[in-house]
Amino acid sequence: MKKMIWFTIFSVLFLVLIVPAILGLALDIISAGEQPGYDTNKRLSIYGERGVAQKFISSGANLTAIGTSIRNPNLKNKKEVILNLYNADNKSVRTSILNGQNFQDGDFVKFIFTPIADSMNKTYVFTIFSPLAGPEETIEVFYFNLPTETILEFTYDEETYPGGFPLVTFHKPNSKFEVVKEIYSNLFSRLQLFGSQKL
Amino acid sequence: MKKLLLLAIVLRLLVAGLLFHPDIKIYNFQSSFLSRGILDIYSYLIENKKTLPFKEEFAYFPLTYFAIGGYQWMVSPILGNDFDSWLNNASSGSVVKDPNIFRYLIVLKFPYLILDILIAFLLKKYFDDKKKGEKAFTLWLFNPFTIVLIYAFSNVEIFAVALTLIALLLTRQKRFLLASGVLALSAGFKVYPVLLIPFLFLKGKDLKEKTLIILVPILTLAAIILPFWSSLFVQSALISGWTTRIANPNFVIVTSILFFYAWIIDRKIKLFNYWFIILLFIFSFSHFHIAWLLWVAPFIVILAIKKPVLSTFFLFITILAFLIPMLYNDKSMTISLFRIYSTWYDLLPTPFSVIEKFYDPVSLQTIIQSALAGGSLVFAYKLLGRDKT
Repeated sequence: MKKMIWFTIFSVLFLVLIVPAILGLALDIISAGEQPGYDTNKRLSIYGERGVAQKFISSGANLTAIGTSIRNPNLKNKKEVILNLYNADNKSVRTSILNGQNFQDGDFVKFIFTPIADSMNKTYVFTIFSPLAGPEETIEVFYFNLPTETILEFTYDEETYPGGFPLVTFHKPNSKFEVVKEIYSNLFSRLQLFGSQKL
Repeated sequence: MKKLLLLAIVLRLLVAGLLFHPDIKIYNFQSSFLSRGILDIYSYLIENKKTLPFKEEFAYFPLTYFAIGGYQWMVSPILGNDFDSWLNNASSGSVVKDPNIFRYLIVLKFPYLILDILIAFLLKKYFDDKKKGEKAFTLWLFNPFTIVLIYAFSNVEIFAVALTLIALLLTRQKRFLLASGVLALSAGFKVYPVLLIPFLFLKGKDLKEKTLIILVPILTLAAIILPFWSSLFVQSALISGWTTRIANPNFVIVTSILFFYAWIIDRKIKLFNYWFIILLFIFSFSHFHIAWLLWVAPFIVILAIKKPVLSTFFLFITILAFLIPMLYNDKSMTISLFRIYSTWYDLLPTPFSVIEKFYDPVSLQTIIQSALAGGSLVFAYKLLGRDKT
């Protein structure tokens, strides 16, 4: 029975202390934050030459993906969906192409590209088009009208509005151990806060 | 013994506070309506679906609602003023980042700790031999499986499990009628103990006792559920997806064979064996929720103490049974449990997606479940045939 006691102690400590580190080491990219909330009734259609543009600030280095929720009603769009990323000088820096058939209606879709090392605090604009799609193959992105610290403004039908899409940027970590350290320090700071509270 | 108990509690608190399964928030959100005077939660949730932040139906039986809701009301001063907004928060990210989450989880899982320790003492009492009783007590408290099942998966099934164990103890004292009443109470939390009643019926010494053994649970259960009976109750709790998955042809066939074998061939049945086998069959022949594994856990502990030679076999089938739900395409079975540490884990693939790259994970589940079924059938044969416990 002593063996079982030791096995249980080891298993529980492994579960709460080591497994989170192993999971952290498995992370190739990390998100810069949570996806902002959005109103599902506020949507912009994308097909043919009708696309959208979004201005945002990358809050981290090594920007490697941009994700947002996209509707693909009745999964009709099976054409290319292209994200072009431009820097502050309006120079195209990255392109990511997905196919509409790869995402379900309302999926959170990630456009992945080669990391941009010096992206920290830099302003970018990305566009999303589905040039070969007809009106019956429309996809839709959601939007909100209040700008955040990083989601600044969006352009649709040649008009520019404050706010934008409920997007999340993803970044390649400089080192895996940095990720693990960040996970534990974040947890311990919350535990400290919890410990300092009066029940 | 005291030191062991203290150590067991510390390990449990660690898992309770740090691992989060979203179910605990959902059923606590639903049960919070008790303090607002809502008695029929089944109708309320369906009728107010449009305005509520969570759309799930209440899948448990009424006693779960009253137990969880009543406890929540009792400890509301400890939970604090922000608890309600946490319960109503539909943002999966900020919910786990809330520094109060540790307090919420430990307080909400505290009744499970009480019942968990009660089960340890009941198992100790089950054995006449003091040494064996202490072994059962220790084995219940010190095995990683039940700790994970109860505290990581926020296992509300523990109410029914503790009552079923009490019923088992009563059957050892030949108090079959009382045992049937306790089983009905247990079914008032979760319906599975109803499956055990037909075997209890066979233990009745005469027609009068047999009739009462059936009547008492029917009337008890009727008293519990009739006040809430409606199509909405049936839809939410009685024919919920998981419940109907048990009633599949394979399970019905093996259960019928078991019952008729007990009735016509065995006759002098050992209740423990039949109860254990039928629970084992649930996991061998149906698409089960990982939390259900707790139903069979006290039986495995008893058998592992009675027959230490079979410990390796029990460990093997337990691992098999754990592997099956972990291969479901459901993040909350594995990586999502660690979201309190970081929501970055959302970016990791599930074991299902990883395996999908090499092999069909559903086929793998079927293979493992078939192996489990094979092991269960052989073990049933051993228990009922050559090696009655």
